[in-house]
Amino acid sequence: MKISKKIVLIGHFGVGKSSLIRRFVENTFTEDYKVTIGVHILKKEVTLPKSNDDITLVIWDLEGNDDITNTRPSYLIGTNGFLYVFDMTRPATYQSLENDLDYIKDRYPNIPLKVIGNKKDLVTNDFIKQNKDVFGRFVDFYTSAKSGTNVDDVFTNLAEAVIKEAKK
Amino acid sequence: MNQEDKLKILKDILLKDEHEYASSIEVKLKKLEDLINKQNNLSKHIDPILEDKLEAFIKEMPKTLGPTITQTLQEEIKNSQDAVVEALYPIMGKMIKKYVQKEIQILSENINKSLNNTFSWASIKRKFRSKKSGVSQGDMIIHDQFKSKIEQIMVIESGSGLIVSEYSKTEGIDQDTVAGMLTAIKSFAQDAFTTQIQNLEYIEYENYHIHLQNFSNYYIAVVISGAFTATFRSKLEDKLLDFAQNIINKTDLENSDIFNTKLKDYFDNENI
Repeated sequence: MKISKKIVLIGHFGVGKSSLIRRFVENTFTEDYKVTIGVHILKKEVTLPKSNDDITLVIWDLEGNDDITNTRPSYLIGTNGFLYVFDMTRPATYQSLENDLDYIKDRYPNIPLKVIGNKKDLVTNDFIKQNKDVFGRFVDFYTSAKSGTNVDDVFTNLAEAVIKEAKK
Repeated sequence: MNQEDKLKILKDILLKDEHEYASSIEVKLKKLEDLINKQNNLSKHIDPILEDKLEAFIKEMPKTLGPTITQTLQEEIKNSQDAVVEALYPIMGKMIKKYVQKEIQILSENINKSLNNTFSWASIKRKFRSKKSGVSQGDMIIHDQFKSKIEQIMVIESGSGLIVSEYSKTEGIDQDTVAGMLTAIKSFAQDAFTTQIQNLEYIEYENYHIHLQNFSNYYIAVVISGAFTATFRSKLEDKLLDFAQNIINKTDLENSDIFNTKLKDYFDNENI
């Protein structure tokens, strides 16, 4: 039987949500920034390495929002897994990280959520260490859509968590 | 040595530097004359400069002249609509004519195919219907060519937009993505009209009509080609309601294989 799960990416404008999806689905990257308006939907079929389950990830790339409370709730209904993305080079995109994560967890309890610090190629390891108060507490993965670092792992890891949650 | 010779020697001594300077200027002037008067020499120096400038001009032209040209064109088109129509008419006319010819050819081929199948069950049925109703077989064939045809049915979970079940006669679209997009459009419409009571029920996409039948936990999207008449729509709605009420049950929603079989069995004959 075919298993399909809805994955939603949220975060501020220009943090690289669309680039991460493009890297994951099409294995491509472009420097040209095109703002996402509304929602863009793509899908990818993956085989999970641990459970060997075949799963279709239907990925909703929502338009960026500086205030998470302005995200259309109707786009989030029925979500099986969240990816919260921020840009490590722009503090404004992770200053409200804790509040944003609380907002999601309150409204969508038991839905797996992974936090991604994107644009790793633009920061040093020292910078990550210096900001460990924020990054160390919340971040699950440091990714680079440009180089592809950790991109597949993020989606695979979330898919594993989604399947685990579904089997409960 | 007379006075004049002495004076000449003195002049030579005093004006030696000026003489040399004048001579060098004379040489330079000669060179300049050669440069200016001989085209080959001049072009060697000026061509690279002109090429650079021209290249820069070509690069910059869209930025500098683009808006002016666009504005001028817009104004010209606005002010001379008749002339534009006259210019475009032959091209558009040819394109439309070609398209219509192609469509008529397809229609003609389909009619011929239908007429050639004289001994097919459909043909016998048509002949019988024709005699009974008094409508000519030709009219019936033409009517059949334009009648509504179900291309695809997707049962989609409300909210998530994930496909519960689907049935299609032709593979052509990515159902998961389309189902997601339809759900996003529905959600957007609901948000925009700030009501949860009303639902988006119909979308037109080029030659296709997408009918959306809404239920509490899911909705059914039916992709239709041909003329989507009010009669067909009404019959389709009755069929979908009957399917939802009498054919499937809640547990089928969790088992897409059973749902798929029921959907295919019910809509395969397309008796609408």
